[in-house]
Amino acid sequence: MKTSLWREHVLPFTLLLGLLAAATLASDYLLHRLNLVWVGRYLGIPGTLLIMGSLVYSLRKRKYITSGNPQTLLKMHEFSAWLGSLMVLIHSGIHFNAILPWLATIAMGINVVSGMFGKMLLNRSRRHVQGERDHFALRGMSKAEVEQAVFWDAVMLDAMTQWRKVHIPIFIVFSVLALGHIISIFLFWGWV
Amino acid sequence: MSRVVKYILAINLAILAVLAFVYPHLMEGPGKLIPGHKSLESNCFACHAAFRGASSEKCVACHTPADIGRLTSAGQALTKPRTSTPFHQKLISQDCVACHSDHAGVKRYELKGGFKHDLLVQETRDQCQACHKAPLDALHKQITGNCIQCHSQEKWTPATFEHDKYFALDRDHDTRCVTCHVRNDYRSYTCYGCHEHTPSNIRRKHIEEGISQFDNCVECHRSANEDDTRNGKNGRGDQEKERD
Repeated sequence: MKTSLWREHVLPFTLLLGLLAAATLASDYLLHRLNLVWVGRYLGIPGTLLIMGSLVYSLRKRKYITSGNPQTLLKMHEFSAWLGSLMVLIHSGIHFNAILPWLATIAMGINVVSGMFGKMLLNRSRRHVQGERDHFALRGMSKAEVEQAVFWDAVMLDAMTQWRKVHIPIFIVFSVLALGHIISIFLFWGWV
Repeated sequence: MSRVVKYILAINLAILAVLAFVYPHLMEGPGKLIPGHKSLESNCFACHAAFRGASSEKCVACHTPADIGRLTSAGQALTKPRTSTPFHQKLISQDCVACHSDHAGVKRYELKGGFKHDLLVQETRDQCQACHKAPLDALHKQITGNCIQCHSQEKWTPATFEHDKYFALDRDHDTRCVTCHVRNDYRSYTCYGCHEHTPSNIRRKHIEEGISQFDNCVECHRSANEDDTRNGKNGRGDQEKERD
């Protein structure tokens, strides 16, 4: 059981987080070596767009949009939030200039960790509702419908609901802080 | 999300918003300003125009272009000017942020060597000595102007001056530049500037050898060694000599 927890949850979680840190440091180092530091400066824009794009899943989950496979959208949510966070981390670099963008970066970091924890929790929830698969099948549902019903049940499990109570406020804090930073950039930066 | 959490969040974010307006230099400013601008630190719009960034019009409101490099913004004479010659008066346009940045965090991205000679008006661009002192070595001491013939405006070195490529300055030709390059014009030369070579003796020697074209000496001669010659357009060079 202990081995399973380590291999199936703790290790992937650590690897994914470690990869994010390693990719940030490696990219920052490369940009400095290649004298392309200015590229990192502009990575904040695609990074933010990717993070915003990852919210399509949240809209689908809350039925604001009805099309799109939720499982695929969740995968996209995880990937684009991870990649967007990587870009924003490279964008922040290791230079401490102002408090607001750093608070936003810290909030984003906590959000990423929370997201990865949610992913781990969802995998456990899925296993937990495996038994329902047969139950849905017996009711004459098609394979795709069974998959979707099991997915929604896993997502709606109590542990996931509790987790969302933490994840969403963190995301709101991150959004507001990032928005403050973006507004200040628009206000003071010379775009033309 | 419970109502308590919502309130806590809203209060915290409101506090941050207030702090952003009260201490903008700490909350949003990309690093410290240069010491001379320290008093402007919490007044972002002293230099920035909303949605347009740092504005040159705001810079010149304090830094009069005619005084830059001569007087401080308070009107006092500069004791240690950064450049020996004021040049801001000769710029093609007053785009301050094209070269200057202020916040420490932005200076990091500043391109090294922001000054480009292209920013100067043509008339000033050609007068190198108006800003630069000529080197005091034996070669440069003899030269006035026309720096661009050997040096680019990007870098002082590498210079294109490789005299041996045209003519070796051996001990017989260890002389002043103006002996061959009259009026310091390095686009032309004459070999008749010394007593050794005169038009009549050069003409006689070449006619004796059957060479009719001898106006451009370095076309065949690249050193004082008379035997080390190369073919010219109509001259008789090494190949013909070998045949003889």
